[in-house]
Amino acid sequence: MTFSPSTRTGLSAGAALLLLAALAIVPRFVQSPYALHVLILIFLSTIMGQAWNILGGYTGQYSVGHAAYFGVGAYVTVSLMLHRQIAPWVGMWAGAAAVVVVALVIGSICFRLRGPYFVLASIAVTEIMRLVATNLKDLTNGAEGILATEIPPLKFGATVITDFGSKVPFYYIGLGLAVLTILVTWAVTHSKLGYCFQAIREDQDAAHSLGINPTLYKNIALAISAVLTSFAGAFYAIYVGFVDPPTVLGLDLSVQIVLICIIGGIGTIQGPMVGACILVPLSEILRSNAVPELLMKWGWMNGESGIGLFLKENLAHAHVLIYGILVVLVILYMPEGLVGFLRRVTRGRRAA
Amino acid sequence: MAILVIEHVSKFFGGLAANSDVSFSMEEGSIMGLIGPNGAGKTTLFNCITGYYPPSKGVIWFEGRKMNGLQPDKVCKLGMARTWQKVRPLAKMTVLDNVVVGALARTNSLRVAREMAMAQLEVVRLHGKAGFLAGGLPIGERKKLEVARVLATGPKLLLLDEVMGGLNPAESEEIIQLILDIRTRGLTQMVIEHDMKAIMRISDRIVVLNSGEKLAEGSPDEVVNNQDVVDAYLGESHAED
Repeated sequence: MTFSPSTRTGLSAGAALLLLAALAIVPRFVQSPYALHVLILIFLSTIMGQAWNILGGYTGQYSVGHAAYFGVGAYVTVSLMLHRQIAPWVGMWAGAAAVVVVALVIGSICFRLRGPYFVLASIAVTEIMRLVATNLKDLTNGAEGILATEIPPLKFGATVITDFGSKVPFYYIGLGLAVLTILVTWAVTHSKLGYCFQAIREDQDAAHSLGINPTLYKNIALAISAVLTSFAGAFYAIYVGFVDPPTVLGLDLSVQIVLICIIGGIGTIQGPMVGACILVPLSEILRSNAVPELLMKWGWMNGESGIGLFLKENLAHAHVLIYGILVVLVILYMPEGLVGFLRRVTRGRRAA
Repeated sequence: MAILVIEHVSKFFGGLAANSDVSFSMEEGSIMGLIGPNGAGKTTLFNCITGYYPPSKGVIWFEGRKMNGLQPDKVCKLGMARTWQKVRPLAKMTVLDNVVVGALARTNSLRVAREMAMAQLEVVRLHGKAGFLAGGLPIGERKKLEVARVLATGPKLLLLDEVMGGLNPAESEEIIQLILDIRTRGLTQMVIEHDMKAIMRISDRIVVLNSGEKLAEGSPDEVVNNQDVVDAYLGESHAED
């Protein structure tokens, strides 16, 4: 079956609305806090991945330092909530403003460089910020981190909408932010900005000769990307209630953000969602004892045998190793990510 | 009126003079051929004119405006557009979107840009491939795409860097017709080309560069019969034609 482009847009918009409607009613049927937690993490990863995608996927600037914007968003929101009693949904805008300043400073340093040099500079600048946050004890409480679990209730006039007693409000905030980032990405890619970004990605010199100022547009892409990432940071901070330099400013996080897009598909609007839906459950499954338990349940492995005992005790500890191997396999065999891979397969079938 | 004036332009890379003391001017609506052996400084001069390199010495005037120090994007918006010797398609974008990027130099509306782009694709007869990825085009069509893309930026002066390089005779002939078509629309063109027969046919005037310096300037006839040019570049066989 083939569809005209406009029909296809209509169909995917319809599918997206259906999916959104389904996600909106999930908390009515899913009571398990753990299941909601996994879904919230998927939303968080989608936000981070989609935000990175604007700079990395569409503009071609592979930043491995996005933890900087995540961390600043998290710290500013939490500090304002703790010390100035400013509600997080107000504080996150202060975080966003701070992040724009940070992004433009980082941009003015890193965008002088291209390709691998840009990647290295983005890592270096974020490492500097992590070290600064670790040592600025007055501002960040250093390596001990900031604990902030008291979230002021969300009120509309005098009515309390939620007091954040369960995971459900976080679920809807995460869903809302994820939808926001996806809409922003869609709007960007369907505007002049998107064309300028992609032209820079494909060939910066050619873009420059066609009237595009690469420095200006790279900084615009970075600012949009950084603000959305800071929202993810603010959301993470109030959800988890704790921030410290290694978790919100660490290289691990920067790499994690890039991986979401690599696995899902760089430069596609579905990529970060797909990547988040794969990576989050994968890391949760590997971290738990679910795999050896399943193997035993299916009778593929005896829990009393030497191998069985070994796996039962050690597999969960090796989750990072297995995760790493799986990521390498995906990169080797699906270099365009899962979305790119599926597109190629379906295109091949249509041609045949 | 002279649309472009090059005044004593020099460009040094360390101790090497890629261009030294080059001066000439171009009349509006004319075609100027820029020839010279490899390494003569033709592409360097293009890079100086279009803002990729600041000239080390000298001044470039475009429509009476001093262009030194302007960035390429500004140069493009002022009405000078160049193609690249080694074509630079935006490979993962469609043929139409490549030209849309050019048109966006003149408009902020995607709808208007698409219409402008489609019109330029028709000029170079690539409209049948509008939906194809630019990276998949054969070389002849990539060269045409390059021309459509710069035309979409709405230039007054086009700088074409070896648009016939690597093409077969039929494709070259198409490009020659295209260049002559573009002239009838009143655009000024500067053309770097190695195909002597083609350059002699299309040029109103020719500037010959050799080792970074201007060796000769004149009508095609004058240049072919200039003894310095024959010695440095054209060689015996062409002189006897």
